[in-house]
Amino acid sequence: MDIAAVPARSAGFFFALAPRGRAVFFALAAIAACLLFAFPVFWLILTSLRPGTGVYYVHRGTEFTIDNFHEVLSQEIVLRALFNSFMISTLATVLSLGVTATSGYMLSRFKGPIPNAWFSLIYIFRCVPYVAWVLPLYFVTQQLNIFDSYWGLLLPHIAVHICFFSWIMKGFFDGIDPSMEYAAMIDGCSRWGAFWRVAMPAAVPGLTALAILCWLYTWNEFLFALILTAHETPILTVVMAQFVHELGMEWHLMSATAVIALVPALIVTLFGQRYVIRGLRI
Amino acid sequence: MADIVLSNVHKVYGHVVAVTDINLAIKDREFVVLVGPSGCGKSTTLRMIAGLEEISAGTIAIGGRVVNHLQPKDRDIAMVFQNYALYRHMSVRDNLAFGLRNRRVPAHEIAAAVSRAARILSIEPLLDRRPHQLSGGQQQRVALGRCIVRNPKVFLFDEPLSNLDAQLRAQMRLELKELRLRVPTTSIFVTHDQTEAMTLGDRIVVMKDGVVQQVGTPLELYRKPANRFVASFIGSPSMNFITVRVSADGEHFALACQGWRFRLPARRFPHLGSHVGRSICVGVRPQHVRLGAALNDDQIALNGAVTVTEQLGDEQLLAVRLGDGEIRIAGVDPDLSLPTGSQIEAAIATDHLHFFDELEQI
Amino acid sequence: MNEKTRFMLALITPAALVLILFQVVPILTGANASFRDWTLHDPKRTWVGFANYLHVLRDAEFRDIVLPNTFGFMIATVACSLLLGLAIALMLNKRFPGRWLVQSFVLLPLMVAPVIAAIMIRWMFNDQFGVVNAALEGLGVAPISWLTQRWTTFAVILLTDVWLWTPWFALILLAGLQSLPPEPFEAARIDAASAWRTFRYITLPMLRPVMVVCIVIRAIDAFRTFDIVWTISGGGPARATELFSLYAYVEAFQFLNLARGSAAAVIGAIIIIVFALLLYRVLNRFVEVSR
Repeated sequence: MDIAAVPARSAGFFFALAPRGRAVFFALAAIAACLLFAFPVFWLILTSLRPGTGVYYVHRGTEFTIDNFHEVLSQEIVLRALFNSFMISTLATVLSLGVTATSGYMLSRFKGPIPNAWFSLIYIFRCVPYVAWVLPLYFVTQQLNIFDSYWGLLLPHIAVHICFFSWIMKGFFDGIDPSMEYAAMIDGCSRWGAFWRVAMPAAVPGLTALAILCWLYTWNEFLFALILTAHETPILTVVMAQFVHELGMEWHLMSATAVIALVPALIVTLFGQRYVIRGLRI
Repeated sequence: MADIVLSNVHKVYGHVVAVTDINLAIKDREFVVLVGPSGCGKSTTLRMIAGLEEISAGTIAIGGRVVNHLQPKDRDIAMVFQNYALYRHMSVRDNLAFGLRNRRVPAHEIAAAVSRAARILSIEPLLDRRPHQLSGGQQQRVALGRCIVRNPKVFLFDEPLSNLDAQLRAQMRLELKELRLRVPTTSIFVTHDQTEAMTLGDRIVVMKDGVVQQVGTPLELYRKPANRFVASFIGSPSMNFITVRVSADGEHFALACQGWRFRLPARRFPHLGSHVGRSICVGVRPQHVRLGAALNDDQIALNGAVTVTEQLGDEQLLAVRLGDGEIRIAGVDPDLSLPTGSQIEAAIATDHLHFFDELEQI
Repeated sequence: MNEKTRFMLALITPAALVLILFQVVPILTGANASFRDWTLHDPKRTWVGFANYLHVLRDAEFRDIVLPNTFGFMIATVACSLLLGLAIALMLNKRFPGRWLVQSFVLLPLMVAPVIAAIMIRWMFNDQFGVVNAALEGLGVAPISWLTQRWTTFAVILLTDVWLWTPWFALILLAGLQSLPPEPFEAARIDAASAWRTFRYITLPMLRPVMVVCIVIRAIDAFRTFDIVWTISGGGPARATELFSLYAYVEAFQFLNLARGSAAAVIGAIIIIVFALLLYRVLNRFVEVSR
């Protein structure tokens, strides 16, 4: 029984192709992937650069203009929405990180009924559909007099972030050796001191990554903004969606607004990509 | 016939030379151990024989056939990895059968081969379990089973015992030797542990920095190390090295360092002649230093103060200050009380001295 | 209460406060509202028991359209993004010239807001001026009125979601692929496994834990989709593409019946929590097996 004498056969047509054929197939697949994901964005940018009349033949016209951007940016609601979205994203990120860091730290460092209860609470609320509490939130924020204001948006966002990011924070702190904190406590630090001065600095790469993700997530968020704001606090994503339903044919303006909304996200992503990758390696 | 011949094999990664000019001839059914410190190129060499690494220069021939451009699956080899590399979501039976199934071997032959391998390794009750349900030793046996099941020409082992604890390792060494009797196959075994090398190998290849230092049987390496590295690597506790100055003294050579002086008859050690006036390195194994006075002319004497003792139960290990260095002595009577600072006398048979010039054996 | 317990509680107090005020209280309010007669223009708030729930469950729209839509959408989008994401992850796992470029393009959708993605793709599928219909015309096929029929609208929504989430799958699966130990693959090379057999019997089973986690997370989130449906079709045509979160929103803010909207929301919440718990159990079992 000379088993090894039987030559091994590979299966499938793909691998029957010569190496050159395989490389071509692979290249085609790679190009297809790039096109699929880049094309809509490219098309959007192209549309935003076409004048109002040219939008009807985006793919055939040759005129380019930046008037759309002028027009969109001259609308007060857009400028206010830009500002508000930016402020909300930044504030929500800063506050959420503070609150979820302690929450994640607690889940990481302690065991027992309290952490278990907290973990379950967070998990359940992470699964509850937004709609189930955003609808009544409309009502609650009015009762608390914070409807259609910064706090009315910030606090619900922070609530969501707690559920999403506590896990990830827990993961970061799990990856940091607790012996450093024990050493600090033996050296006279209080538990708070150990947390602030030993654990948090070690978690900075992870925190940076999370801050970037949190900022992007809040910047792109829609449902809360839709329900919890009216005229006082316009938010960019809602303004864009309303344009779609109201402006009907004015796609050149709509795409210009969308491109404007994309730019900060693009900047944050390009700038922060490195930190996200580094931070999430923990 | 499953002999392996490596001719002028080199391996280069970019600018880094991993392996330089290896020439080895391994006989059919021989068990050869590649041993050396981390980074010496032993795993790289093994992987080149397996086909997992490309060969930069030179040829490797298995059973007379040059295999440089053959895929691992076509080289008729089997390999055991350091962390077993079992397919962790397959049962033991499927792990053993995988290679055969890929080769379209008929099902009844697969079943026969699997049960034969399981019987040889005593893992029959484990056939339906998953790897994570097995202990380290059992996983290692399954890895061995994967080798046996295909009856290849060559077994390759890449530090398979390194992940086991000391006791298990000793037991697995015995099992490997028993396996050799039942399934004698050309084998190449890589390890960094010289004990494994000495106990398992028919011949040992000591490597350092990508270069073969010496090839020989365990006893050859122990008694006649080719250079200082091999001398220090083989044998435990490792050899003592003392730098001495050679001078001529009539019909003798006088070798001296601070705190120690002895003479050797020139007749018996003519090769020392070319080193008169220079420093050389004298090596002596701790086991070859005996407490007590020199009994005859074939022994040399030394004196020193005890610095540290280690009690092992059946023997003691001593560290003795000699000049500005230390010498270790093994095999000391465990009942002797030798407090720090006590002066002792010891003797060494001149046959047990090794001499090294820089790195080479003189 | 000892010092350690005090510290634990202190750590989560701010989070707990926010969570209670802005999740527990609203949910309870909503649950409360669902049992009452509570319309936004005439909040009588009289107790009506399960009347609202029954109304929702008996609503043909809910039973025959919204629930099948939601589950169908969930299954379709998770399946498509998983397969596509896996293919892309496998591709990006090899080194090839220009890989960084492909990687950057593939990760584009991750920073685009769902609303913006919906706008982009809705524009592409515009029946008069959209590029898709222009391409179809160029190929000699009659243009399709994408957003006026149920299934074509559904297809557009599905495409948007897959466009948005495939990179997420790809990224996580790629990380998973790169964390696989190389030795079983080397053993498979020696064991004469072809590329396909290696993928099917070694890569895929080892990736299973990662895939399961992704599927669970994404399924739960897909169930709650709102943004893109709202932006692309508003739930139309004629409420035919409503998902469950839209249904609740429409009941509450268009029909101004907060109570019925809350009832619908609670029903959906229960469905998804049960589903999530079941999947969590399954997940745990997989993670055990693959240590």
